[in-house]
Amino acid sequence: MSSNVVVVLDNGGGLIKAGIAGERDPATVVPNCTARPLSSKKHLLPDQLLSPTSDLTSAIIRRPFDRGYLINHDLQSTIWSHIFSSLLHITPSSSSLLLTEPLFNLPSIQRTTDEIVFEEFNFKSLFVSDSPSLVHLYEASRRPYDVVSKAQCSLVVDVGFSFTHAAPVFQNFTVNYGVKRMDLGGKALTNYLKELVSYRSVNVMDETFLIDDVKEKLCFVSTDVARDLQIARRRGSDNHFRCTYVLPDGINHTKGFVKDPIEAQRYLKLSENGDLPSQSDETDEADQTEAKSKPSERNKVDLTKNEFSLSNERFLVPEMIFRPADLGMNQAGLAECIVRAVNSCHPHLHPVLYESIILTGGSTLFPGFAKRLENELRPLVPDVYQVKITTQEDPILGVWRGGSLLASSPDFDAMCVTKSEYEELGSARCRRRFFR
Amino acid sequence: MDDDVSNSLRRMSTRARKVAPKMAAALASTDNRTQAILARLEALENDNPGAEIVEPNDDDDDAAAASLDEDDDLVFHKKHPKGTKRKTRQAKALETAKKAPRTFLELLHDANLESLPPHVPTYLRAAVGPPSSTCRRHFCTVCGFSAKYTCVRCGMRFCAVRCQTIHNDTRCLKFVA
Ligand SMILES: [Zn+2]
Ligand SMILES: [Zn+2]
Repeated sequence: MSSNVVVVLDNGGGLIKAGIAGERDPATVVPNCTARPLSSKKHLLPDQLLSPTSDLTSAIIRRPFDRGYLINHDLQSTIWSHIFSSLLHITPSSSSLLLTEPLFNLPSIQRTTDEIVFEEFNFKSLFVSDSPSLVHLYEASRRPYDVVSKAQCSLVVDVGFSFTHAAPVFQNFTVNYGVKRMDLGGKALTNYLKELVSYRSVNVMDETFLIDDVKEKLCFVSTDVARDLQIARRRGSDNHFRCTYVLPDGINHTKGFVKDPIEAQRYLKLSENGDLPSQSDETDEADQTEAKSKPSERNKVDLTKNEFSLSNERFLVPEMIFRPADLGMNQAGLAECIVRAVNSCHPHLHPVLYESIILTGGSTLFPGFAKRLENELRPLVPDVYQVKITTQEDPILGVWRGGSLLASSPDFDAMCVTKSEYEELGSARCRRRFFR
Repeated sequence: MDDDVSNSLRRMSTRARKVAPKMAAALASTDNRTQAILARLEALENDNPGAEIVEPNDDDDDAAAASLDEDDDLVFHKKHPKGTKRKTRQAKALETAKKAPRTFLELLHDANLESLPPHVPTYLRAAVGPPSSTCRRHFCTVCGFSAKYTCVRCGMRFCAVRCQTIHNDTRCLKFVA
């Protein structure tokens, strides 16, 4: 082994991103859960869940996280152990660890985490970071002439698995007193989509993995909800949002899929007034499909084939992030969340924060997300300030990449707490070194 | 797509479902609407919402067993009531009850964040809070289109008589199908 190996572990409630410091991308990205398929007695480990052949129909899921925080350390260390030995092939006792933890992590959770890192896995040293500061670090290094790095300041909006944070970062540290949190994230969106599909067509309440796939492939953020609701009411092929998802049959395919991916993407070409442009190649395409099946029949759900169709669900689900109150949650939406986070910082920072909003987290991948956020945010921000929103190049890996960068910097060793320091000082005093 | 095609999904689980304990409590409460909203939020954070909801740290022995590997089997109690197997599970559950993972809300309660001085940022103080705007849009909980009417019993929205009937039959005061 050359010098010191640093393992970078972005331990999310939904996905674990793990790899070796200095590399651009994590070696492995797996769900942070185990699951037991209906047909089996054994729980499948995270990487097994990703196998194209594993049948996850009605699988029961166990997650170490609850509401965004680590509550089941036994399960977490089982998953970590598998990742370290079988996926990363590292030896903890000769490695350091950079670990991410959620903002406002509870001291009792931190204590147990430190115990596992040092006493169970025997890591040589540990550094714990929050996600916003790593996202900031990564973006600042990518655009050295941008306001993000010149002002050493940004507003990181992280739409996570169980919650969403708007976190101001100043001089590379997360400004904790400015952070605002919505209790909504990717998990709630998947569960909401499950409810809608179950009420309207087939019962998919047990199908988390399947509906995650439906959500990722078919949901989008509407930039004009009233218009899109009108379109979604139309019948037949005039309903540009209608598309069909085919459920697994367990024989020919163990995964579901979008029946007609081209049909599903039609909405991206919609003009302002909600019409599809009638280009010549467009009609060619339509003719070809017509040859196979008449348009009126194409949109019909085939009951013998275990499929369901979606229309307004596609945008009503991500809508929850922007207007939770419409769906009965007594919480401000994302735009207001950002305004409140900015307003809790010093007024000198307001213009720079609005000018350096960084979106990260898997749920910001919905098409239309940044545009809609800008539409909602602009009227809430004083006219004299610029609003500039950038989505990270890869919102799922952004935090890990920042961690990889930090852990390969020359100062990193000095920032860590070593095993002997932990043994001497205990968890609480070691922890004080990580955050201001 | 409003047609009932649930029969077509033969392979999907036919696991027994019942209203969650929290929901049962909510129904007994006088303020149905508030409680119904709370239960709904709970449902949105649930990992296995289709399955019977188990409270991980209840005094109930069923629930204690939920903590470790047996949690999944609980769901099948009704279908396979095996007295002997159940007993060993109970004993094991008692042994491991102390080690049982606790919910975040329990850990949060123990952390006693309320006692910290007001200038210390905490999980509680970071909550975004209610929306400032009062103009709320309403969507029909059955079909998703804009909804003019509110159910008098549970406060959920519907757009027309057709959707109201479906609401009353299938989801009024039910959050687990
Ligand atoms: Zn309706
Ligand atoms: Zn009702």
